[in-house]
Amino acid sequence: MDQTTKRTGRRSRAISALIATSVVATGASVGTVNVASAASACEGVTLNVLFPQPHQGAAETLIADFAAATGGTINPTIVPYDEVAAKATLDAQSGANTFDVVDTFYINVGALAQDGILMDLSEWIASDADLNPDDFIGSVYDPYSLNDGKRYGVPFDGDTHVLFYNTEILERNGITEPPATWDEYLADVKTITENEKANGIYGAAILGQKSPVILGSSYVNRLAGFGGSFLDENGQPALDSEAAIAAAQALLDVAPYALPTPQETAFDQALPAFLNGQVAFMEFWTDLGTYAEGPDSKIQGKWGVTSLPVGGDNTTPIAALNAGFVLGVTAATQKKDCALEFIEYASSTATNLKLITTTGSGIDPVRISSLNDPSYAAFNSKVQAAAATALNGALAWPTVPAAPKLFQELTDGLSALLDGQGTPAEVLAQVNESWKAELGG
Amino acid sequence: MVPTILVVVVLALYPLAFSVAAALNDSSLGKPFNGWVGLENVESVLGDGDVIGALIRTTIYALAVTAVSVLAGLAIAVALDRTTRGGSLLRTIFLLPLLTPAVTVAILWKVILSPSGGLLSTVLTDLGFDGSALSPLSSTALALPTIALADVWEWTPLVTILLYAALQAVDWETVEAATLDGAHGRTLLLGVILPTIAGAIAAVALIRLVLAFKVFDLVAVLTAGGPGQSTTTASYLIFQRALQQFDVGQASVITLLLAIVVTLVTLPFVYLMRRAHA
Repeated sequence: MDQTTKRTGRRSRAISALIATSVVATGASVGTVNVASAASACEGVTLNVLFPQPHQGAAETLIADFAAATGGTINPTIVPYDEVAAKATLDAQSGANTFDVVDTFYINVGALAQDGILMDLSEWIASDADLNPDDFIGSVYDPYSLNDGKRYGVPFDGDTHVLFYNTEILERNGITEPPATWDEYLADVKTITENEKANGIYGAAILGQKSPVILGSSYVNRLAGFGGSFLDENGQPALDSEAAIAAAQALLDVAPYALPTPQETAFDQALPAFLNGQVAFMEFWTDLGTYAEGPDSKIQGKWGVTSLPVGGDNTTPIAALNAGFVLGVTAATQKKDCALEFIEYASSTATNLKLITTTGSGIDPVRISSLNDPSYAAFNSKVQAAAATALNGALAWPTVPAAPKLFQELTDGLSALLDGQGTPAEVLAQVNESWKAELGG
Repeated sequence: MVPTILVVVVLALYPLAFSVAAALNDSSLGKPFNGWVGLENVESVLGDGDVIGALIRTTIYALAVTAVSVLAGLAIAVALDRTTRGGSLLRTIFLLPLLTPAVTVAILWKVILSPSGGLLSTVLTDLGFDGSALSPLSSTALALPTIALADVWEWTPLVTILLYAALQAVDWETVEAATLDGAHGRTLLLGVILPTIAGAIAAVALIRLVLAFKVFDLVAVLTAGGPGQSTTTASYLIFQRALQQFDVGQASVITLLLAIVVTLVTLPFVYLMRRAHA
């Protein structure tokens, strides 16, 4: 397995370290998934697939199952999650054209489509009898795959954040219910930190390291909660809205009470802190539920999960589509039929169900049928309920070709805000202006 | 002659021509020459406070880190040169940071400095202080000096070993003659030995300066350029623009600007080297 692990301090490495060395199939085992047709285009074919490291567990499952189902071989290349798009682009731009399938963060789909890296799959999706696109979760399907009216991939990992909490810490501090609003959340975090900081226990871990997927996600959780959006109905930046500013203020307000310090907190600081019972609240992807019950967790049976809080005038929890991955076929592949067969297989209900009920796969639901399947509920009922609520309506990140640049600018601004360089209104006004310039508004 | 020309073309001219061409075009990572835009990228970059800030920050950082490394490396090299026992063991120990991959160095420092459970924080807490209050990597004022500290720790051994080698090459007949003339201790060091190895010191400083200008791994792992932009160096900014934002046009302009700055800053060192060898 070709692995590139140049960058560390990221979710992938932390998760890998936490889940021990092997992928453990759970009691809800689905067995080997076999959805391929009898005449496989992959028989004897080796497919080169670029995976992000959080999907290493999923890749291992897919390699075995896909070979059994089709006779095809998956040759995975696994890189840090934030290097997938660059690696795929450089592979194509250099003329090497190594990869047939790319498993990429959905906000990069626009950029990859614009650069001609991904194949337009619109016709195939519309005509394929077995794909059943109507079964993809509605709030995930379009943001993940659609760009400029064309579809460039199929959803593979439906990442959303939910709010995890440590029931034991809440109980100790007289908190009987998880917070429903960001104000309640702040009050709870403040209480816990003030009561237990001396013992190394904090109210929350805030993922605030200066990276779009880390700090950006923490902000977007609040933006969604306050009912804000990135762009207005005319496609113009809306980061100077009341909701957007309130969201930034909520992030700023909680920072002093969080695990020190938010600016230094990434996955590899936050995850161990939560699983060791060192923090009460953590916003994270739904698959944390499987790790919380895993062998390395000290909070087995002592945690809960709920939808992200709301704020301002908004009273309906809205999930933020933080991260989230798409399987696309490269424009230069010479194995198109097999590549299409693979992405259909990997995004099928049976495969998705198997992966979301496998500890360490790194995969969350992308299909309505797998999300609502009794075996998923049996595997992790708390997470299933939170995920079902969260995915009912969700705030997607922009996916225009300039999206990577837009999110870096937002992240730079938020980092400056946490550093005390300006008020939320001032910082976001500046980011809004740079977004306008970038989007030609 | 032909190999020399090939080396110049492959290692210098082609990258330079590519960078200039990419800078003058609308260049994404996937499509480097997507349409002529003239000086649009240059104007955009020169009007970007983050870029100018990163270039100034990187220059100050490189000069400071070079000064500290050369002074510390020289002091250690002189001490090693005068050590009669255990010299080889000490030299090996001093080389350990140099043998450690930069990413590992960064992770090591991160583990030491983490305010929640880091080595320093734990020690301070055990001593009765609030260890969690010490978080230099979250401080605008302290983050870059902290990276500089890690950088100095990592690269000073290289300076040391090069200067130690220079000291070994000193003509000891000259030193003995100076000693007979009454030069001892500091007078001997400053008046005789250091002038003898001045060319080597200038050369080592030049190497160290270029290494410092290129600092990337420590920034990427320790701070990702934050808090705010306080540790965003030119190399890290180029990485962000090219490989995270896919804007190769702007990344090329910043690369060319950095090349100009490095050239200007290193010129005095080149002059000193030539003067010492003259």
